[in-house]
Amino acid sequence: MKERMTHAATFATLLFAAACLASCSVRPPAAPAPHAEPPPPPETVQDIEAGVTVYRQAPGPAPAAMVAREFLEREALESAPADEIWVIAKAARGQESLRTRSEHASTVRREPAHPGTGAMVVRRPVDTPDAIQRVPLPLEHTAVDAAIAGYVGTVQVKQRFGNPFDTKIEAVYLFPLPEKAAVSAFLMVIGDRTIRGILREKEEAEAIYRHAREHGYRASLLVQRRPNIFEQKVANIEPGAAIDVDITYFHTLAYRDGWYSFVFPTVVGPRYNPAGHTDPIGALPRGGRTTFPETTGIEYLAPTERSGHDLGITVRVDPGVPIEELKSTHEIVVEHGESGTATVRLADATTIPNRDFVLDFRVAGETVRSSLLTYRDPETGDGYFTLQVIPPRDAGAIARRPMEMVFVLDCSGSMSGRPLDQAKEAVVTALARLEPHDTFQIIRFSDDASTFGPAPVPATEVNLAAARRYLAALDADGGTEMLRGIRAALGFPDSPTHLRFVSFMTDGYIGNEADILAAVHRHIGDARIFSFGVGSSVNRYLMERMAKEGRGVAAYLGPHDSAEEVMANFFDRASRPALTDVEIDWGGMTVRDTYPTRLPDLFAGRPLVVAGRFEGEPTALTLSGTADDERRAFVAEPHGEDAAGPVIAKVWARLNISDLTDRQAIAGDPRGELRDAIMRVALRHQLASSYTSFVAVDSSMRTDGTHGVTVHQAVPVPDGVRYDTTVE
Amino acid sequence: MTVRSRLLATWLALMALALATSAIADPNETRAPRFVPVEVYLESPEPVAAWQFELEDRAGAMKLVGIERGGHDAFPRTPYYDRDALAGGTAPRIVVADYSLVIGSALPRGRVRLATLHLMLEGDPDFELRLVTATTPGGVPIAASIALGDSPADSPERAP
Repeated sequence: MKERMTHAATFATLLFAAACLASCSVRPPAAPAPHAEPPPPPETVQDIEAGVTVYRQAPGPAPAAMVAREFLEREALESAPADEIWVIAKAARGQESLRTRSEHASTVRREPAHPGTGAMVVRRPVDTPDAIQRVPLPLEHTAVDAAIAGYVGTVQVKQRFGNPFDTKIEAVYLFPLPEKAAVSAFLMVIGDRTIRGILREKEEAEAIYRHAREHGYRASLLVQRRPNIFEQKVANIEPGAAIDVDITYFHTLAYRDGWYSFVFPTVVGPRYNPAGHTDPIGALPRGGRTTFPETTGIEYLAPTERSGHDLGITVRVDPGVPIEELKSTHEIVVEHGESGTATVRLADATTIPNRDFVLDFRVAGETVRSSLLTYRDPETGDGYFTLQVIPPRDAGAIARRPMEMVFVLDCSGSMSGRPLDQAKEAVVTALARLEPHDTFQIIRFSDDASTFGPAPVPATEVNLAAARRYLAALDADGGTEMLRGIRAALGFPDSPTHLRFVSFMTDGYIGNEADILAAVHRHIGDARIFSFGVGSSVNRYLMERMAKEGRGVAAYLGPHDSAEEVMANFFDRASRPALTDVEIDWGGMTVRDTYPTRLPDLFAGRPLVVAGRFEGEPTALTLSGTADDERRAFVAEPHGEDAAGPVIAKVWARLNISDLTDRQAIAGDPRGELRDAIMRVALRHQLASSYTSFVAVDSSMRTDGTHGVTVHQAVPVPDGVRYDTTVE
Repeated sequence: MTVRSRLLATWLALMALALATSAIADPNETRAPRFVPVEVYLESPEPVAAWQFELEDRAGAMKLVGIERGGHDAFPRTPYYDRDALAGGTAPRIVVADYSLVIGSALPRGRVRLATLHLMLEGDPDFELRLVTATTPGGVPIAASIALGDSPADSPERAP
């Protein structure tokens, strides 16, 4: 059999060779020498629709077609003119050229290299040469539809990917979600057909997607790159066609000082990756991917560029009690409904998605109370709960011990301008609230770290004045070597008389979060960390995790907030915990797997949220803690089983995964036990995680040709962040 | 022999080697994965308000890569699959279910497509389809039958 097949193969080869000989002479293409310089840029191409300028980028790897054409042009000069030349060439993956579907011509200019796509055609209005250029990219629209019941949000995000080019594309988009988001459903919508995605082990999902993509099937893949950063891929979008991807997630809302806060982040800030970091997230100019071939990279639009991507947000708010007040970072339209509910819409449909959308709402008077939500899985009988404890106003406040206040200022390039100005103003506000027996230190870090004084100094008038001058002289430039800042802030002996408070003032634009959290864990000692996020699109995951690790709380200072007001409020709350040594008597419930594993101090106006599993019947529970050497206690009543009960199980699972991920970052996972545990929980509760991904394939139709060109969705830099100091 | 002839001879030799190598490939080598839609139909004498079926592949060749709703407006959602039955992709069976809250007269009867399963096959499957339950709006079991429509055997892929 084997022999017969060999003969058949030889026969086929000879037949093929004979056919070639009969038709032509064959000249193999000259392969470029290894590491040879890329061929010179092709001539610009003019093909544009009326009113739009189209131009083709020049540098970077030339597409195969271009290489072939140049080879032909060059070789033709050296060959006998009578020879007919065959070039047998296969386009390298992702090296096909893109052209818009328009055909009219106008002016031409060169663009930066676009990784993996070879030539790329973009367009801008010709009548406004100095104004914003419109860049055609796959992501056309993001529609956010959120429903808030109590303090749990269910959010549906619909992303529409279109293809403005004349060849098939694969769209790749890196986007943020809230750090607590439990992504639990994934749908791919093609026309009037909806395909539910399947959650699988990440490597398996990626392999399925890759096979589907390479065989021409429309497919989509959702991969978690960080707890708050996801990558969406959509394969085989045909010219002029569109594919929608619907993602559903749940999360609990933050509650601070009487206000619930719903946050939808719209863009990932440009991350800094320290040298040697093995899992970076690159901040790249549009077309700069060739310099980061192996990383997860985010491409940013230049300040003069805009994509057609717009944003729609609708939030239905039903906290269960009347809403007294609403406010937002964006212009909103509010419709008040019955029973104190409200529907909130983003007013401007053309809003540029370059900053977090934050909706804060305050409910009536003293109606927010501690609550216990429970859910029992009808199939397994497993019980899950979420407890929110809001300290009553009279819970007490501990007399303030002398403080050793350490301010750690991020002076990297991304903080340049308003963010650093706000951070300085916030520090000045906090300095003014120190008392003479307090001590303080100021640490700045960017590429390196330096301090105001060799050691913390007393908060005397002279020292405070010097500190203000020191702050005024600080400037922002360079990288974000946050580890240096952490070592400087925590790496000296604790004071026996003062309680150390470390306040990190940063946008958190780093790619090595796990390293940072591990360092905080190693060095924290008895200190408390209060992370203070500054900017329009803060890395809230890092802020919350650092605060959790440091038994403190996080606060956020948006570009339009008053630094003085936010810091004053934050400082007063943070420096006076309401209760320490917190304990919970679970009453008739037998409780296990609770998160957080270690109960933090309780601060006035800040709830304690605990999720866990339980057996037995939910009953009233008692929370107690120490204030001024006295034990104080108060009771939380169960609300009964909630209609949105399954969400409670997913909230628990998300916290479980977060805890396992933190342990992995802190202690490592050499035997993969934590990895397996994360995967088990994620698959059991159908949640995306660092080891599980959603994949959806439409097997009913195969598109023509190869998988086309990969187009990475470029995004604007966050509002207030300078492109030139963070991306270029 | 001219340069062109030498190049031609070399090229022919390489072609022959490539073809021969592919022709004597290991017969045990795993077949390249392929994607197929599998449609599941229910034949019911009464209006169906809820259903659940199980598709098992005794050959262990299938992987579920998507689920699409069926053909009746009484079931407008994309059906859900049983996460435990899928067992993270290791179990060779898929359990799919859905229910409808529309009034009885708007429910389907006769032959109705319940769902389209999008599968990736690594080898030849050996399907067994079981109807776990089909009930009326009152929860009464229906003596219905279930069958595969487009199967890999008769319609592997639709042309673009």
